Amino acid sequence: MNRTPTRQTDPRLLVLHALRCAGACGLARLRAVTGLDATRLDFVLIDHTVDGLTARVSDDPPCWRLTDAGRAEHARLIADELTAAGARASVEAAFDRFLVLNPELLDLCTAWQLRAVDGVMTANDHGDTAYDARVLDRFADLDRRAAAVCAELSAVLPRFARYRVRLAEALDRAASGALEYVTDSTTSYHTVWAEWHEDLLLTLGKSR
Amino acid sequence: MRWIRVISSRVEETAEDLGGKALGLVLLHRLGLRVPDGFVVTAQACHVFLREGRLPEDLRDEFATAVTDLEHRTGRVFGARERPLAVSVRSGAPVSMPGMLTTILNLGLTPEAPEAPEAAPGERSAAADSRLRPLERAVEAVFASWNAPRARTYRVLNDIPEDLGTAVIVQAMVFGNKDARSGSGVAFSRDPNTGENVPFGEVLFERQGTDVVSGGATTRPLHELAEREPAVWAELCDALRRIERHYRDACYVEFTYEAGELWFLQVRPGRFGGAAAVRLAVELVDEGVIERREALLRVSPRHLQHARTPRLDSAEAEILARGIGACPGVASGRVVTSSDEAARMAAAGVPVILVRPETSPDDMRGLAVATGIVTARGGPASHAAVVARSMGKPAVVGVGGLAFDAANGSATIADRLLTPDTVLTIDGTSGDVAAGTPRVLLSPAGTHLQRFLSWSESVTGTTTGPAGPTA
Repeated sequence: MNRTPTRQTDPRLLVLHALRCAGACGLARLRAVTGLDATRLDFVLIDHTVDGLTARVSDDPPCWRLTDAGRAEHARLIADELTAAGARASVEAAFDRFLVLNPELLDLCTAWQLRAVDGVMTANDHGDTAYDARVLDRFADLDRRAAAVCAELSAVLPRFARYRVRLAEALDRAASGALEYVTDSTTSYHTVWAEWHEDLLLTLGKSR
Repeated sequence: MRWIRVISSRVEETAEDLGGKALGLVLLHRLGLRVPDGFVVTAQACHVFLREGRLPEDLRDEFATAVTDLEHRTGRVFGARERPLAVSVRSGAPVSMPGMLTTILNLGLTPEAPEAPEAAPGERSAAADSRLRPLERAVEAVFASWNAPRARTYRVLNDIPEDLGTAVIVQAMVFGNKDARSGSGVAFSRDPNTGENVPFGEVLFERQGTDVVSGGATTRPLHELAEREPAVWAELCDALRRIERHYRDACYVEFTYEAGELWFLQVRPGRFGGAAAVRLAVELVDEGVIERREALLRVSPRHLQHARTPRLDSAEAEILARGIGACPGVASGRVVTSSDEAARMAAAGVPVILVRPETSPDDMRGLAVATGIVTARGGPASHAAVVARSMGKPAVVGVGGLAFDAANGSATIADRLLTPDTVLTIDGTSGDVAAGTPRVLLSPAGTHLQRFLSWSESVTGTTTGPAGPTA
């Protein structure tokens, strides 16, 4: 079996998978999640919509969601992908390591949002830059360990490499002062992490 | 013994050596309350373990002595099949690190445990060594958990020194799941949501304590213990009063009762916040327990700010269920159970409460448009909690009694079917989920807060309350 890391995931699956992991979303977000360029993404979405797998929701701005048929097709393709790559054991092992990191990530997000002041949990007003720097430093430490898990995954399923790019980008932006990239935007570290978690569950066909 | 102290009223060491939890147990002994027999391995032994990667050489002898002593006191034998001595092995750091360190329960109940030899105290044999190995391994596991990355992160964030280490408490188990006259629970001496002077907490009948804390099972309100086990209830209430008198403050205990006999497993001061802290301080003054000046010192400006967060009037509300308050504030709206439904109704201008088993990225659209969020599972750091806070929306997570039928997608709360016509009101401070739109208290500390502020004015000689701008 050909297992070179250059093997790329079918864009058709990438788009279905993005809508399944990240929920209904617009073009900009779909580009960020899949890493596909705008033209490619348009083609795939048109195909999927013609095939009844995706539907446009007239939100403002407009977004796409999976239809029931799309969910079924996604489930079939994602299971095939895992079997074809012979990747189940590797992904299971990586998922176990992910689950060790997950509570720490949630602790860190909570610490970013709340601080015990005089024994009372209070919203972090981000006025104490030393505290924020300490939390971000722990995020960076966690991120190094998460990178190792992500590398194991992308060695067997290359599409997972996208999380490395997105997580690093969120952390970079947060470190350079865009604080919403920690927990508060649709491209925040927490959001990308939660999508990664969902992705692992879906890839392995597990429920929470 | 150098590394081990038997837990009793006579122990003299500080929290630095024994940890906060063991000191609490010493206090319970001094107050004459029933505490399962046990001993504590000091944080000194942890320092050795963290430095050298193994337990101190002479600790093994001390284990043998301490376990034999525990066997004599309980009339049970560690590792035996008949009348086995089961112990819990729990961390107890000098500074509380909730949920971060390892706990091992029911040690000694393994069916493959070797038969206990007839060994006199102090006598050592190969069989005795192998008998105690699980205990040594458990203590090592707790010590090692000090350096787990998650625990390390917790210390960095909370300014806890890296080299404190943790003590380990080894205690005979009591079984809340033994029979119909057994159970476990947690109790505050007063209501931590309002400060009202009535015992408050949760109880699980015929279950072990971990089931209460983990949130895995649906607990009952504490007062149901009064009808079911009046003697246990009376003893508990008396104990809460005694502990309060000692702390001169509200308190919190974890307890188990086994075959109608009440045991205390942990105690600490209540640590109330917001409106509850104000009411507690004012009533302690009224009861002559503390002076006004001390009351003023106990309630910080932060507490006063929180005392102004709107709250549900729980006295007048029909409370359907209670979970963990994850983001404070009160929200009312119609029930929706999916993001699509939430988006549709919100677009029509209808305020909605998003009710989910738990949330995932797939729910972001629903979370974005909802006025409030309720989940059946998850704790204060769950996805729903993190997202709710990022959006400043009232949220209640981990609601026991909220159930979903996977087959037809319907949700029930306390056996009541939730439909799009159901209106719920949630209080993200107390975790209350109420039917309809009950009265909301905009200043929940009410007259207590007014009296408190008048004291602060008479002390400081100013009319600027502490709730004003603070540094």
